[in-house]
Amino acid sequence: MKKLTALLLSIVMLIGILTGCGAGGQSLTEEEKNTIVIWHDKEEAVSNALLEMLQKLVPEVTVSLEYKSNLTEALKMVGNDPKAAPDMYFFAHDKIGVYAEMGILAPVTDLVDRGTLDDSYVKMTLDAATYKGELYQLPIYFETLLFLYNRLYMPDEKAPKTTEELYSYMEEKTRGGHYGFVEQHSTAYYSAGWIHGFNGYIMDADGKVGLGSQETISALTYHKKFVELMPGESEYATVNTLFQEGKAHATIGGPWLVSAVRAAGMDLGIAPMPVIDETQIPISPYMGVQGVQVLKYAAENKTEAVKKVLTALMQPEVGIALAKVSGCAPAVEACYEKEEVTSDDVVMAMRAMAENTIPMPNRPEMDIMWTVAADMLVNINMSGQDVKESCEAAQKNAEELIKKMQ
Amino acid sequence: MKKSDKKPYNQKTGNTIVSYLWSAPSLILICLIVIFPILYTGYISLTNMNVYHWFTYDFIGIENYKEALLVFDSGFLSALVLTVLWTVVNMILQLIIAYLLAGLLNTNGLKLRNFYRTLLIFPWAMPGYVSILLWKTGMFNSQFGLLNQWMEKAGVSPVKWLANDVSAFICCTVVNLWLALPFMITIIDGALQSVDRSYYESALLDGANWMQRTWYITIPAIRPVIAPSVVITIFTTFKQFDVIYLLTQQAGAKTGAHIHTILTYAYENAFITNNYGYSSAVSMIIFLILIVFSYVINIKPKEES
Repeated sequence: MKKLTALLLSIVMLIGILTGCGAGGQSLTEEEKNTIVIWHDKEEAVSNALLEMLQKLVPEVTVSLEYKSNLTEALKMVGNDPKAAPDMYFFAHDKIGVYAEMGILAPVTDLVDRGTLDDSYVKMTLDAATYKGELYQLPIYFETLLFLYNRLYMPDEKAPKTTEELYSYMEEKTRGGHYGFVEQHSTAYYSAGWIHGFNGYIMDADGKVGLGSQETISALTYHKKFVELMPGESEYATVNTLFQEGKAHATIGGPWLVSAVRAAGMDLGIAPMPVIDETQIPISPYMGVQGVQVLKYAAENKTEAVKKVLTALMQPEVGIALAKVSGCAPAVEACYEKEEVTSDDVVMAMRAMAENTIPMPNRPEMDIMWTVAADMLVNINMSGQDVKESCEAAQKNAEELIKKMQ
Repeated sequence: MKKSDKKPYNQKTGNTIVSYLWSAPSLILICLIVIFPILYTGYISLTNMNVYHWFTYDFIGIENYKEALLVFDSGFLSALVLTVLWTVVNMILQLIIAYLLAGLLNTNGLKLRNFYRTLLIFPWAMPGYVSILLWKTGMFNSQFGLLNQWMEKAGVSPVKWLANDVSAFICCTVVNLWLALPFMITIIDGALQSVDRSYYESALLDGANWMQRTWYITIPAIRPVIAPSVVITIFTTFKQFDVIYLLTQQAGAKTGAHIHTILTYAYENAFITNNYGYSSAVSMIIFLILIVFSYVINIKPKEES
């Protein structure tokens, strides 16, 4: 009897395992056509606000939000399997190129009117969401880095207007475990602001690598003197803890830092990015646009439900609700007519910054560029290698790795 | 007569088939989990599967291998040398420390023995990722790390522990030992308990000292028990990725040290390309290196036996 039970259990287990590999392919029922699954990697406050808004605006569609911690990799695995893939996903715009090239995304302009989008969105967000001429994302809100300072040490009038003013402040205040200014100096996302301020670039919108350009070399040569007055470690935890604990007077950080430092009781100031004296261009960081992408299968088979959800997401109240919980700036222009948005200094600072920011490139090659640029920055800032040599070596390495992508 | 000779043979064959049938579910599972991924990686390595041909890839023969061999340049060779050094240093230290600690755990009349055992196994209970990052921030961080806090108190200027190659290698070794010792201690502890006490009693009567007892009784007695775990640990150490990557090369938190094992080197020079065909070819070559390595390691015990 025991043997029989064991045999039966083994068979059931095997069937269970093997049926997972089976293929689907049946046509959808009305109920299925009206159900939209959205993957996301956001904190609970954001996903709850999104779900609440969608339930209110499109009660006839059943929307389910599923948290995926490793969303980008999961999509690569199941992106073309309708049984396992979501109908949409809520993520930053910088991965659009990868999924568009894989062929799993549908342009949102197939589902909503392009003219309406052009009239109602912050232009930069639509530019960011465009890959090879097609708009693949419906932007919801955008985020960028801000110049943040602790008013306890740096009064408003001392907030530097230029990078040389910032340098003088750092020279004066960096001593005894205190730092005038800290940033994640050897991370490409943070250093890009300085590179853009010299008209350099990590990779341009056409996929050209700019690590070895004269502008990038000049930017990193200039940036190095600031790095010398910062701590050796440049990772997120060290930099943010130094600022939160009052050991660093100013930093360049994202909106995600604001609520934490305010909750800790800091009198936080937000200033425009200092202008680089040599070029008269402010430090111009990358901008990330968070929004919704539609998978091809859903666009073709659940067209009506997808259209309804997208139309709902275009309403200013959705942008406002999500921007409030995320601390980021809404992508819909009409949101900036509402008092609850205009009264938020962080959101308004980001809206003002939108003019000076550069959208993160959304090309697939960026996966390589983040690593190669970070290696280059570490070689320059932390290992003391020559700037020009490091930049040129990184340019060559990036070009070789990009060739290997094909 | 012939018939009766055949019967046991048939019975034996029948038994073998039944045994295989009973273990079939496990064998199929092993095939699915272990063998299939290796074969599939081999297959992918012969295709052009990448971002641009994700679902519509073609068979391209050994093209990826020609490209992959370029990864095995001087950088790869120095990474290979470092990987061997890393494995040897870690294995020697692990065996010595684990042996000493297990020996202490088996001291006669030791109080709170089980408490110490639990304490020593604790690092195993924690997820490796958490342990490594705790060491990185809690111990080695130049601003907040315990080591630098102590040094500051002693009036010594802070050190960037993970910024240069030698100190980063030592730090990685310390963390790897912390993570790996519980396994080795448990095995050696068990092995020590299995040694017959009467050998020691006889040796004591013969006037053997601690060193002689260790060399002539303990080590020969425990060697067969710990040999498989040593082989397993050699492999896990050889293909170690987490400790070195998370301590020194994590994206957004690089420290300035340039210590690469073959896996971290392959990651930076192949896997970030999102070219699965090419990365699979690199993986297959590393797999072959590991097979050769395993063959070399296994030669000696076979000769001895």
